[in-house]
Amino acid sequence: MKHAMLKSTASTFLLAAAGFAWIPPAHAVPSFARQTGMACEACHTVYPELNHFGRIFKANGYILDNIKPVRDIEATKNEMLALTGLPPISLMVQVSESWLSKTLPEGSGIDGKAQNGTVAFPQQISLFYAGKIAPRVGAFIQMTYGNDSGTFGMDNADIRYADNTVLPNEQSLIYGISLNNNPTVQDLWNSTPAFGFPFAGSNANVSPLAATQIDGALGQDVAGLTVYAMWKEALFGEVGVYRSAKQGAANPITGAAGPLDGTISNVISGSAPYFRVAYEHQWGRNSLEAGVYGADFKLYPGGAPDAPVALTGPSNQFKDFAQDFQYQFIASEHLFTLAGTRIHETMNLDASFAAEATANAKNDLTTMRFWGTYYFKRKVGGTIAYFSTTGSTDAGLYAAGESPPGVITSANGSPDTRGWMAELNYMPWLNTKLSLQYTGYNKFNGGNTNYDGFGRNASDNDTTYALVWFAY
Amino acid sequence: MKPRIALMMGVTALLGTGLAAADEISPELRVASRHVAVTVCASCHGPQGRSISPKFPNLAGQHPAYLVAQLNNFRAHTRGDPDALGYMWGMAAPLDDDLIGALAAYYGAQRPAGGRSPDAAATARGKEIYANGVAADGIPPCGACHGPAAAGTDQYPRLAGQSTEYLLKQLRSFQSNLRNVAVMHGVASGLKTGEMTDVAAYLQSLGP
Repeated sequence: MKHAMLKSTASTFLLAAAGFAWIPPAHAVPSFARQTGMACEACHTVYPELNHFGRIFKANGYILDNIKPVRDIEATKNEMLALTGLPPISLMVQVSESWLSKTLPEGSGIDGKAQNGTVAFPQQISLFYAGKIAPRVGAFIQMTYGNDSGTFGMDNADIRYADNTVLPNEQSLIYGISLNNNPTVQDLWNSTPAFGFPFAGSNANVSPLAATQIDGALGQDVAGLTVYAMWKEALFGEVGVYRSAKQGAANPITGAAGPLDGTISNVISGSAPYFRVAYEHQWGRNSLEAGVYGADFKLYPGGAPDAPVALTGPSNQFKDFAQDFQYQFIASEHLFTLAGTRIHETMNLDASFAAEATANAKNDLTTMRFWGTYYFKRKVGGTIAYFSTTGSTDAGLYAAGESPPGVITSANGSPDTRGWMAELNYMPWLNTKLSLQYTGYNKFNGGNTNYDGFGRNASDNDTTYALVWFAY
Repeated sequence: MKPRIALMMGVTALLGTGLAAADEISPELRVASRHVAVTVCASCHGPQGRSISPKFPNLAGQHPAYLVAQLNNFRAHTRGDPDALGYMWGMAAPLDDDLIGALAAYYGAQRPAGGRSPDAAATARGKEIYANGVAADGIPPCGACHGPAAAGTDQYPRLAGQSTEYLLKQLRSFQSNLRNVAVMHGVASGLKTGEMTDVAAYLQSLGP
């Protein structure tokens, strides 16, 4: 684990989760196209960004199809089975190379330098089951091999039951249930964290210390059950709860799965409530969405296998409240998207503060991301993005390293990170994307120069990333 | 293919499977088609078939015979313009003849979309071409088939109120034969780009 040199155990576990926030998700599923008989552009501007029809397809549970089912019925004509004639399977491949502005020091932190330029072949290979399971039931389930973990494991999943009805005055009402493993992975707009920009990014870069919990920190380690409704394809509301569902965790006594105990970090106390409200207005070629979402996570910090901390008593509370918007202009030649989100997190760190793992009992953290994307004929395009995270200074939570190499530490205990991204894309085919992406930092872990106390500057973490991304 | 033969074939196609008189549609089918229209078709074609995006055609007030013919063409993959391939081949595939007939009747009974005129000069030029054709280039008046108010007939689609973007795309598809209709290929082949834009602007300006 990258944060092993941090002196505070509790901080380590808080931040270990945060580190995952910057591993971007990646989703593109031609199995939907095979199932519906419709081209990518029916649901996407350019994958993975959804257009209005794509959002409605998702809200309806991924079930629209034109494949003749394998059926079984009772003598009373009751339907017992309507199995999709073809399994909705897709494969996705990402191959990349990443370069840091300044080479990382040796792991020992003293002599030499690590090699710069990380080739990832593959960075990621994903297998999807994405499509209809049965009438009114569909799924988007992703299994991923990553070159960093070297293993094949669970990625994003969203299994839905959905139906719709016609209200008086011929207004539509879509309603459903989502069982998913990453807060906002079930969301319909690309302004929320799980499917927001960047859609793909380097996994050989340096991640900032701080991220809010709803910003991907809990992805694939929770199970959420949410109910939602959408009126007139415009007003969307959703509520639900998330419980910890750790992957790769075994009970130390039985060696079998669960129950979770004090050797596991960041276990949700009970269930964490989640909500989402959004409104989308369409006019001409335009659509504009504005919404809010949030969650209230109470997490037990837990401990290491050799130093368990019981999953009772005080916990750390993370109250996340976020606003988001997305504007899309979609014409035959020109496609334009403006989107963004602002996530504010209030932390009540009762458990970690009592264990002297944080300097403050209460902290705040705010992340903002805004981006604009343009494509010409879905062939050539690019994105410019701005991001910033600011929050309370806490020398326990965002700790300084005691000795080199630093890099992922903060000399002044501040989480503040700010920068911008630029990405160029070329799509030789609608299921193939060639990207060149640059990330520049004006501030990293609280500083512009010597942010880690061992001589590394924010701009040293600037990253150039070349990606070949295709799915079929 | 000679225009006359093509015209006969077109009429035959229009009167093909799926077309049912409105009073022949059972109450159950009426409910089912309304459900499909409101919860599926409306995502692109708008509430009651009055499209929000100019990319997608208005279906409200369209002649059922024309809608039946087009849905049959999508289903049989015999209409090959880009959006037919990309969208409607898939959407039409699971529809049966009864549902196609009921959907066509549903949209045929809706109030057509209102007209908007973004460019008065183009609209005026387009009106002239629509009414009188372009004699010098052998372009016949559009109104001869589509009617003086572009309201269409059982054989020819309603064009009044359709968006400029959609109409231009169709005219280009007729020109290139991606949408293979011999009569319209002949007409569209003689039209210059500016003339097509003018006619489309005029048609968009026409109200119910």
